[in-house]
Amino acid sequence: MEFSPVHYIAVPLFAAFLIPLVGKVSKELVKLIPGLVLLYLSYGSIMLFPKGMENPIIEIIAGFKPPFGIALYYGATAAFLVTLVTLLGFVIWLYSYKFIIREPIEKYYMLFMLLITGATGIMLTGDIFNLFVFLEITAIASYSLTAFLRDKDSAEAAFKYLLIGSFSSAFFLLTVMILYTYTGTLNLADLASKADMIPANAKGFALLLVIVGMGIEAEIFPLNGWAPDAYSQAPSPIGAVFAGIVVKAAVYAFIRIIFLFFKTPEVLHFIVIIGLITLIIAEMAALRQHQIKRMLAFSSLGQMGLVILALGIGTTESTSAALFQMFNHAVIKAMLFFAAGYLVFHSGSKLIDSVTGLGYDKPITSFFFSLGALAIIGLPPFSGFWSKLNVLISIASEGEILIIVLILAASVVEAVYYLRIIGKLYTRKEIDSNPRRTPISGLLAMGILAIVIIVIGIYPDVLTQWLQPAAENLLNSEEYIQTGLF
Amino acid sequence: MVEIMISIPVIFVTIFVGAILTYLIKLIMPKVEAYFALLVSAATSYMAFALPKTESIYKFNLGSFNLMWGNNEYSHLFAMLVAVLGFFVVLYSMDFMAGKVNLGFYYFNLLVSIGSMLGIVYSQDFLSLFIFWEIMTWSSFMLVIYAQDEKFSVGIKYFVFSAIGAYLLLTALVILYTNSGSFLLEDNINNFIYLSSQNQILVIIFLIIGFGVKAAMMPFHVWAPDAYKAAPSSFTALFSGALSKMGIFGIGLVLFKFAIQNTDYFTYFQFALAWLGGITALLSTFYAVFQTDAKKLLAYSSIGQLGYIIVGLAVGTPLSIMSALLLTILHGAFKAMLFMSAGAVYYRTGLLDMNETRGLIRKMPLTFLTALMGIITVAGVPPLGGFVSKWMLYEALIQSNYYFLVIIIFVASTAAFLYLYRFIFSLFLGQEEKEFENVKEVPIKMIIPMLLLAGFTLAVGVVPGFVLEQISKAMGYLGIQTPNWENSVLFSNWENSSVNLMSVATSIGILFVLGAIFLTIKNYRSTRYVTTKDIHTSGEVPTENENLTFAVNFYQPFERSLGSVIKPSIDRIFNLIGKNIESAADYLRYIYTGNGQTYAMYVILFFVVLILFADLMFGFKF
Amino acid sequence: MLYYIGAISLILIGLYAVLVKKNLLKIVIGLAIVDSGLNLLFIAIGYVKNATAPIFSSESLTADKMVDPVPQSLVLTAIVIGLAVTAVALGLVIRLYDHHKTLDINKIRQLKW
Repeated sequence: MEFSPVHYIAVPLFAAFLIPLVGKVSKELVKLIPGLVLLYLSYGSIMLFPKGMENPIIEIIAGFKPPFGIALYYGATAAFLVTLVTLLGFVIWLYSYKFIIREPIEKYYMLFMLLITGATGIMLTGDIFNLFVFLEITAIASYSLTAFLRDKDSAEAAFKYLLIGSFSSAFFLLTVMILYTYTGTLNLADLASKADMIPANAKGFALLLVIVGMGIEAEIFPLNGWAPDAYSQAPSPIGAVFAGIVVKAAVYAFIRIIFLFFKTPEVLHFIVIIGLITLIIAEMAALRQHQIKRMLAFSSLGQMGLVILALGIGTTESTSAALFQMFNHAVIKAMLFFAAGYLVFHSGSKLIDSVTGLGYDKPITSFFFSLGALAIIGLPPFSGFWSKLNVLISIASEGEILIIVLILAASVVEAVYYLRIIGKLYTRKEIDSNPRRTPISGLLAMGILAIVIIVIGIYPDVLTQWLQPAAENLLNSEEYIQTGLF
Repeated sequence: MVEIMISIPVIFVTIFVGAILTYLIKLIMPKVEAYFALLVSAATSYMAFALPKTESIYKFNLGSFNLMWGNNEYSHLFAMLVAVLGFFVVLYSMDFMAGKVNLGFYYFNLLVSIGSMLGIVYSQDFLSLFIFWEIMTWSSFMLVIYAQDEKFSVGIKYFVFSAIGAYLLLTALVILYTNSGSFLLEDNINNFIYLSSQNQILVIIFLIIGFGVKAAMMPFHVWAPDAYKAAPSSFTALFSGALSKMGIFGIGLVLFKFAIQNTDYFTYFQFALAWLGGITALLSTFYAVFQTDAKKLLAYSSIGQLGYIIVGLAVGTPLSIMSALLLTILHGAFKAMLFMSAGAVYYRTGLLDMNETRGLIRKMPLTFLTALMGIITVAGVPPLGGFVSKWMLYEALIQSNYYFLVIIIFVASTAAFLYLYRFIFSLFLGQEEKEFENVKEVPIKMIIPMLLLAGFTLAVGVVPGFVLEQISKAMGYLGIQTPNWENSVLFSNWENSSVNLMSVATSIGILFVLGAIFLTIKNYRSTRYVTTKDIHTSGEVPTENENLTFAVNFYQPFERSLGSVIKPSIDRIFNLIGKNIESAADYLRYIYTGNGQTYAMYVILFFVVLILFADLMFGFKF
Repeated sequence: MLYYIGAISLILIGLYAVLVKKNLLKIVIGLAIVDSGLNLLFIAIGYVKNATAPIFSSESLTADKMVDPVPQSLVLTAIVIGLAVTAVALGLVIRLYDHHKTLDINKIRQLKW
């Protein structure tokens, strides 16, 4: 059977239903199934990737041609992001394999599979209501996974996430309504071609609704209060999923909609500013955090602010830089969450202070954390440097020196709080050596990410050649309309 | 064959792969890693020496940018410094670091930092320069935090300043890139004039500050004393000797390749930079005087010397540039000597506090000799090299009518004697303490680099030609016309009166040495060995353990009179800024109240604000 | 028009509950009310006056006599999603009550700053 984009959604969804049933038979099998699924999807991604880069693949579901039926749109951008999601998903599974030891395991993996379904669905779908459904699937799975640890704080975080997430879905549903009312269609490409039918004030209102609705998921500044709590209270691999997969999908959907319907200079300008504010406030807030994972969460917000900012510049260079930054952030932040997960586990405390001296007791995990920290600050020769450089160059070619200075000022702050942890890790202190070791699967997962970080850091061309088509696909709504409607 | 083998990529592969292998070897076979590191650094240094100048150019593409590595005379000068010091420091480390924990980590970072410094000087484009610059920053940061314990954490300060500098660099580079569409130095130099005047100034200022931070230029020097102190002494030698010179390398490049093109403002840059350098030299000398920690003292001294170098570069006459570059090389040598000798004392006694050490001259004569030659060089007394460079600097300053600056520099130089004397007195002179009875001279592997460097300073003082020749070639690259060092008063034969001051100075020096030797021999018989205890104070014979020499509060009167001026230091201002930013961040954090309902309120408020200002932001009304 | 007013007022009532009420259960109920309001609104958009259900039950029924079927099917989906969210929310409220012994949202703020 040839691999088609439908499999991205169908296979993990099927696995998600299968897992609880299998759970009655064998726990080991429960652990293995997601791995196999993700392996299959990764394999498919690699097969499909070159095709998607050349020409968008339109997959029609249930026989109705667009704009009537639901279609999947596997274009260059989607190909790039979906491949990222599946590969990263596999690594996250690898890490979870030994990390998630608390019952109910089958529920964890079921929700994890649902998350993958939702995230790939968001990236692939060509239908705005379908997008809403996938957003909700992702959201519900995320709420539940946030509360997975069943303690006081995780329930609280999940509730906040749910509260704000409901707002997001309500706003987005309203947008769908408005767009549908005036155009009578739900297909994104068709909608975009009929965007002129929408009266200006309704369109404007829809824009505001999108900004708020999708802005919540994309974690822009005043709407991201839920994010630090959810990131920090969810199990570490789920933190990686949030930072690496969920928010990427949300930002993609956000920007896709903005570019399709509302691409005016004013809107782009607004996005740049909101991205900048998000970046600065998040980095400042991260500076004084006392918990590692919460700090990572704020750092994540900041990084996404940078991505959104770069997307708002709206040139091909900036968009490809933003995609590059998305990729790097996904990989690096996943690694940081992985390492932080075991640092917290080994030190027995979530606090930053408690990692003091762990660098000598747990050298490999600490090494990975340090590597990730250096990479995310944007130090060469690690991958983070290239994306940051590209972002800066794309901004400079628009002549916005002030923005560059502000971004770099935020980066200094970022450097401070990351290096503070590195400094603590390698501070000499007598600690009781902890017999617990980081298991092989965890080390393997981090090792894979480390290799990616270093290889791309030394030879970025591996990745950069794919960024250009992906960026053009994201920017060029004409092409999207044409290919989306045949 | 050998000629083909030696190319810049090979050097990089050798040292970076060597660094990784060193780390791995430490894991497999402990104790061998030091020898392996020595081997790697020896190979690298050899190749850096043998690398053909000018023609070895290596171009490639990375991440859609054109990059280029190449060796030129200017690069070569700095590469020599790095190669020699790098090798010596690794050699010195073998014994100095023996028995410490995490040696793999130490050697890895040491080799990486050496490699990245070579990378900086060999880069013919800004991108690879910046990449190596950042690699240098983090590897040195790792070495700074390498030895820190819970009470002492300074790494952050070092990194913050480095990051600020690096990001200013980056901003400037990005501006340059958008102007010329390339990172190559050559393209940027050629296209610099097309940049708008405002951006030109911005770029120059950013570049100078960016490089200046590493060169510990005031007011960005505050990281230096703590970082120098925190790093292991072996690395500090390299840190102060070579790593900070990368800033000088950059400043030279910026001044004479870029800033000089902006004819309207170049003189202002020169003027400002010269004064900045002068103030750096003066203030840091005073700071140095009050230090009780040997390494901190040397750190401030180092900042001061870099100040001289900056003055020399900024004044911009051929002679001053020459003196600056000579001092760059020399400072690399003598500061390494001084840090190594301080390290040697630490190695044997475990002390760096000058209030506690004393009288080690008999126990560690060779170390003392190194330290002595080091301070003589710093002070600029003939016959050692420091004299030549100082002389040239004064001469250049007077020629360029910087009279007031001359006075400042002169005061700074003179005041330098205060701390230099304190350094050598507290460590080596005075009464020998009981507790140091078992102290021995340091092992041979530590002595060799110190003595060789000392020999080098002497050679520069006596026959400066061999260094000056290389320097004049380097200046040729910077586009400075005929490096007329022969015309300096110091060397010229003064056609008629034929006074060769150089030989005068040398003769004075040699006479001085001969005199000292003569006196020693003459008095050898007639002197009687007395211990410092062999005296009477008011009829009381001091006991064995009573201390009669004091290095505590060495310059108390001086401190009393000047302390109030010096104390409210720049360090505190920066600390204050840092504190304020942190507390601002702390307040900002309160936005995230933790109440889900508040967050929901934010969403609605944000929406309302969007509606209200939609007209303003998006240009439409409802 | 009346439908719109009804639906929007439902949304506003729900919003009031979410933003002002301190009791977690009331907040959840508020969310559910907002959901219902939205669903009603969507249905109202697709409503055609005097039209019938979009089922081809007799030959004479033409498309212009039917209400728009798309919003209805979408709302069906939205209702299911809303139900799921409410269920998760209630589950979380139970757990929060177990841990905190209170339902006051102001008292449940361990995670802050």
